[in-house]
Amino acid sequence: MMQHFPVLAVMLLFLAAFLVEIFGSKNKVIRNGLTLLATTNALVMTLALIKPVMMNGEVISYWMGNWAPVSGYAIGIGYEVDALSLFFGILVTATFWLSSIYSIGYMNKDHHLGHYYTLFLMLSGSVLGLVFTGDIFNMFVMIEIMTFASVALTAFRNDSEGALEAAFKYLVIGSIGSSSVLAGVAMLYSQCHTLNMAQLSSILSGGLTPTSVVAFGLIVAGFGVKSYIVPFHTPAADAYAAAPTSVSMVFSGMVNKAGVYGMIRMVYIVFRAMDHSSVQMLLAVFGAVTMFVGVTMALTQHEFKRLLAFHSISQIGYVITAVSLGSALGLTGGLFHAMNHTLFKGLLFLCAGAVLYRTGTTNLDKLGGLSKKMPQTTICFLIGAGAISGLPPFNGFASKWMIYQGIFTKALTSGNFLYVIITVTALIVSVMTLASFIKVTQAVFFGQLREEHNDVKEVPAVMLIPMYIMAALCVICGTIYPLVSKYLLFPAANASLNVGDYIDKMMGAGYAEAAGVPTMLVEPVTFSFWNPVLWLILFGIVFFAAVIVILLGTNERGKILTAGEKPEAKYATFFSGEEEMFSQVGGSDLFWGFKKNWKGYYKVFTELHSGIVTDYTSYTVIATAIIVMCLFIFMR
Amino acid sequence: MQILLFLVKVLIFPGALFTACVGLFLAGIDRKVIAHMQKRIGPPIRQPMYDFFKLMGKETIVPARANKLVFLGAPIAGFISLAIVMLFIPIFGFTAFSGTADLIVILYFLTIGGVALIVGGSSSGSPYAGIGISREMVTMMSYELPFVLVLLSVARKVGGSTLAFSMNQIADYQAANGSLLFSWSMIPAAIALLLIIPAEVGMQPFDVAEAETEICEGPLIEYSGAALGMFKLNTAMKMCIMTGLFTSLFLGGIRTGTVVCDAIIFVAVCAVVTLVCITTIHAVTARLKIEHLFKFYWTVVSGLALASLILVWMGL
Repeated sequence: MMQHFPVLAVMLLFLAAFLVEIFGSKNKVIRNGLTLLATTNALVMTLALIKPVMMNGEVISYWMGNWAPVSGYAIGIGYEVDALSLFFGILVTATFWLSSIYSIGYMNKDHHLGHYYTLFLMLSGSVLGLVFTGDIFNMFVMIEIMTFASVALTAFRNDSEGALEAAFKYLVIGSIGSSSVLAGVAMLYSQCHTLNMAQLSSILSGGLTPTSVVAFGLIVAGFGVKSYIVPFHTPAADAYAAAPTSVSMVFSGMVNKAGVYGMIRMVYIVFRAMDHSSVQMLLAVFGAVTMFVGVTMALTQHEFKRLLAFHSISQIGYVITAVSLGSALGLTGGLFHAMNHTLFKGLLFLCAGAVLYRTGTTNLDKLGGLSKKMPQTTICFLIGAGAISGLPPFNGFASKWMIYQGIFTKALTSGNFLYVIITVTALIVSVMTLASFIKVTQAVFFGQLREEHNDVKEVPAVMLIPMYIMAALCVICGTIYPLVSKYLLFPAANASLNVGDYIDKMMGAGYAEAAGVPTMLVEPVTFSFWNPVLWLILFGIVFFAAVIVILLGTNERGKILTAGEKPEAKYATFFSGEEEMFSQVGGSDLFWGFKKNWKGYYKVFTELHSGIVTDYTSYTVIATAIIVMCLFIFMR
Repeated sequence: MQILLFLVKVLIFPGALFTACVGLFLAGIDRKVIAHMQKRIGPPIRQPMYDFFKLMGKETIVPARANKLVFLGAPIAGFISLAIVMLFIPIFGFTAFSGTADLIVILYFLTIGGVALIVGGSSSGSPYAGIGISREMVTMMSYELPFVLVLLSVARKVGGSTLAFSMNQIADYQAANGSLLFSWSMIPAAIALLLIIPAEVGMQPFDVAEAETEICEGPLIEYSGAALGMFKLNTAMKMCIMTGLFTSLFLGGIRTGTVVCDAIIFVAVCAVVTLVCITTIHAVTARLKIEHLFKFYWTVVSGLALASLILVWMGL
């Protein structure tokens, strides 16, 4: 029974995509109902797998058409769900479920929604399939579906400025990534004569031939493109900004995470390349550069969603760096951060969508003072901003803490000064992230309301519910992370470090041992977290503070006065004795004191982000070549 | 019983009450000494306490443009986070929570203190506050780099690889090997941290964010009454925390055995550090511009901290 769940979840999403196009292009109820049904079904089926996979440590396998391996050779396409797959699977289904709820409210002003939901469901099915599949060529197929659904969704609002351009960039760069994955897969097939990842892993454990090293480089570069690490990040900013926000949220929350999943699956399981310090260093450097470039470019943005897109890039840098450490602590931190990024970045995109939905713009220079009109969105946004900046009590803090610990421990144990630099970078990037979100807070939600936004209202409940769910999860994952790590992170990290089980389940017991893959279980990672008992203390102090406030509030002399309907002069803002006037301290250039000192850096990097597809293509190709060459020279 | 002990630690010692009292005391000393340096008599040392209690009894006006929840919540959030920070700083032999004290946690909770000021100021809707928060944030970005470098060099010097950032380990190391200030490779880092303290507590010449004479206290401009009092208290608490952090990072190792004696010596050392890095610098300098401040921290101070880190990394 259980083993049918993964494939059913994926198939029903695809099936719903076709049904929506056939029956739902005219009828709103059928369309929304089918979409919600399919995504809810996928979510429930994935969550049902938690018990066997995460708690009991089973691996669920399923051979399409019952094409089981014949005399040790895998012929058919197999689905294989281990804890790592399931971890990402839960993220995928949860993200798409929330996005489909949000879409009901958010997309109701658009036309041709049948196409939208078809593409949306295709995208969700392909990402889920990518995560669940055990066959490397099937993975490539899913990447292709994912890329083209994404391209079409990016251009969905093709009457808005820049949508087609963004889609074109996405198409070109995305195709290069897909092609290099395909080339890598072809080379691997020529070497190993199989496409099953479990079997590939056991064959490759005998040692990498030069060809398979090149294949490895191409596949890593390909998944690098899919996860938008610098310098492959170029289409992301345009695409996230141009796509409808419900889709931007999915792009940032899950589609680039699919690339990260592919990277972990390849590096840790198929190639088991983490023993090579050259692979670790290469990924660590790419990760550090990614987080730094992403955040510095985000600081100069004038557009809400573009800014969030650059932060997505930056946060993926954290994940890649953490994963590159090769230690249990690093991997756990990386997975946790990937999950947290899905939550808080999804939340932030939804807030941006809410602003766009009500005001019609996301330009930071044309907004301001919305907190009076959209108080609930403001609170959700502040939670998301706190989480992405890594402030405690939110989830971003817990995962970043683990990542810093991981990198610095690596620096101390390896004695490599590079990791010290990366630690410093990670910590500084976190402050810059904070600065960037202060900018958004000031520019969009605080400050003074513009006249044209006087009749703005809070968004409808169907849009608020996903925001509240994500905000709540941000706080919950930040406070009960011992539970999160016990049931989600440790199983996933252990699954990535213990390859034997994965191979045995797919190819038959004893297969891994015969191929020389160590089946010994790496000890479950244990390390002392920052003690959650402290939250008890926190609540104690909150209580204390609340008591103080209540006491002060009842005190006749020290009471809190708020402006009524007709404000008196004492509630007006201070203007040096002048009359009050419109004066919003704009968001887009808030930190000129910082930028002035960095103008050389910004000059270079603004020129590099030229917006010309040829440039971007050349970065992609050059970086792919560098990855392949570095690995070819140093890995053997 | 356990919970009661927690509450005592959080609310009284070394948490909220202790930090607040010591902070206000340090602020009083600062004002008194600087007055003497400028040939004035100055207020009594108790003056910051009087100010605080007076503000607590005044009415708090929420401006019409402000978001009430954030405007009033920000000072409280700052107060909570700063009260928590002190729990992580060992007072010589005494630590409130063994095994959990951690440099990164301190760094982030200190950040919350700054963020509370920024978000509160931002929510007031005043353009002066807008400029103030911009400067406050840039100041934060400025001192964060050298601060991180200092923390890393201390962590490397003490050098446990399992819990790299443990405060307890730093305290134990100094108890065994003497204060870190007296190992010469750490001296540049100590100087760097001394230069970071005035920026963190917003004292001249690094008080660009609150520059009273140009932007009328920036983020605090619309605050009044109890909320303003809380922010003033937060600044004083930061003074206690930062000097305390310096004390336990670089001047640790004194262990009398009784908590009360430890605490008294701790406060005395904090007062000396305050005089050195806050009062003296305040008395002899004028306010910088924000871009100069940024440059100063990213070149001079970071250079000092980096020198220390490299020396320590080479095993000196």
